[in-house]
Amino acid sequence: MAGAAAPAFELPRRGHVFPAFALIGWRWISRNPAATIAPILLPFIFLYFLKLISPPGLFPLEIIGAMLFTTQNIGNWVLGDSAYWRLESSLQDLFIVSPLGKVGYLFGIAVSNMIAALPAYVVLSLLLASVVHVPWVAWIELVGSIGLLWILFSAIGIAISSRLRSQREIWPVGNLLFTSLGMLSPLYLPIWLLPHVWQSIAYFLPGTYAAVIVQSSVGLLPAGVSVGFGSALDAGLLAVAAVLGTALAVSLYRWGER
Amino acid sequence: MNLDAPLPTVRRSRWTGLGAFIGTELRVQLHEVLSIATSIIVQAVFLVFVGVLARQYLSYTLVGAVVFSTFQIGQRVQNESAWIRIDHKLHELYHASPMTPEAYFLGMSIGILLAYCLPILVLFTASAYLVPLSVPACLLLVAILGAEFVFTASVGYMISTWFKNMRSIWPYSTLFFNFFGVLPPVFYPLFLFPKALQPLALLLPTSGGAALAENAAGILPLPIGWIVLASVSLVVAASLAFVGAVYWARRISRER
Repeated sequence: MAGAAAPAFELPRRGHVFPAFALIGWRWISRNPAATIAPILLPFIFLYFLKLISPPGLFPLEIIGAMLFTTQNIGNWVLGDSAYWRLESSLQDLFIVSPLGKVGYLFGIAVSNMIAALPAYVVLSLLLASVVHVPWVAWIELVGSIGLLWILFSAIGIAISSRLRSQREIWPVGNLLFTSLGMLSPLYLPIWLLPHVWQSIAYFLPGTYAAVIVQSSVGLLPAGVSVGFGSALDAGLLAVAAVLGTALAVSLYRWGER
Repeated sequence: MNLDAPLPTVRRSRWTGLGAFIGTELRVQLHEVLSIATSIIVQAVFLVFVGVLARQYLSYTLVGAVVFSTFQIGQRVQNESAWIRIDHKLHELYHASPMTPEAYFLGMSIGILLAYCLPILVLFTASAYLVPLSVPACLLLVAILGAEFVFTASVGYMISTWFKNMRSIWPYSTLFFNFFGVLPPVFYPLFLFPKALQPLALLLPTSGGAALAENAAGILPLPIGWIVLASVSLVVAASLAFVGAVYWARRISRER
């Protein structure tokens, strides 16, 4: 039979994955007004509470903390979406048989959830710019730190989601992991005010480096206080932690099994 | 055999099945150890914030954490009720049984309360010891928590029936429980809230309850009028919510 080896039709191997997932993110928040506010509520609530109880001088640091905490929270939302699509909608099977690979799927869900976080970043950036002068270098470092944490925590979220067996596990697991990490790496708190044991633990977490890099760059450290190991080394450690952590999470992520 | 004979009716009181369903729900909830453990996370975060940055407000945050922990039970009731109805579709089975709709609602709520009482007890003990709370203040706090539980469980149950899928419940539930439980002065003292809005805060069961408990502990002086306002609004809110939930439970159990 002539041409038996040729496929009956050619599947498209490349598509517009990120725009498609971005559209999913946009549709979710545009169809459901509460969904626009709810995911970003917790960082703002923490900020509101801290504004009431802490010295006014710490407010810019707390805004930066809210931005980084929002980024960590994206990991929680990725966990939730990925688990929901797999367990409830059985959508992951569809993605598995598509040309989309697991890394593409990870970045797709991460992009989708970044859309939901964008309003929070805009509001917090405006707030930060209104209370303190932020040099352009600091903006770049802030965006870079957010980018690295976004990829890292999205990878962690999707890796964990692939191990969940019931929807009931989504909320407690996500809450425990991401809120605890957000508190242990002192995003909202000045690291120099913490007990030494806590400081030592915090330096094992990438979020801490993101916080100290941006705080130093904006000039929020009090005179005579130094944090981290110097900006270049801090940036290097954050990048290494993000790359290694993402690689580990992707390797632990179950795709197409069972 | 006379097929036209009426089916035997099952005699039941208003609370038939309550005990059995409390036990059922308690056993279900006790499997969720991680969920029980994580129910204290937000409270712990606020305690850490205050412990590091404003230790002088720690007593208020401790009392607020107890009140908030009880208030959170409503969110569990909401999730569980929605879970049973939407995901398992078990509520039709329950409603077809001799168990009454109000026993279903209250049994679920009490079962969840019993399962989640350990975090509340831990925070209560810490408050009683560290604030410290006198015996009358402890008793008043227990009464406040009782009213809080009735209010939050009733509201949580009613909200759960308004949604058709689990995913859409979550954002609204987050908004409701954060706006009532965290934004008003629950974890922080009433005097840090804008002065003009303080009476409004006393009308809310959460911040009103926390203010009453703090007043009884002697850490928040309140004019007698404000004490009356907070007490009456707490009792009225709990009563109205409970009556509403019982009515709603009976109504939605009918076939449509």
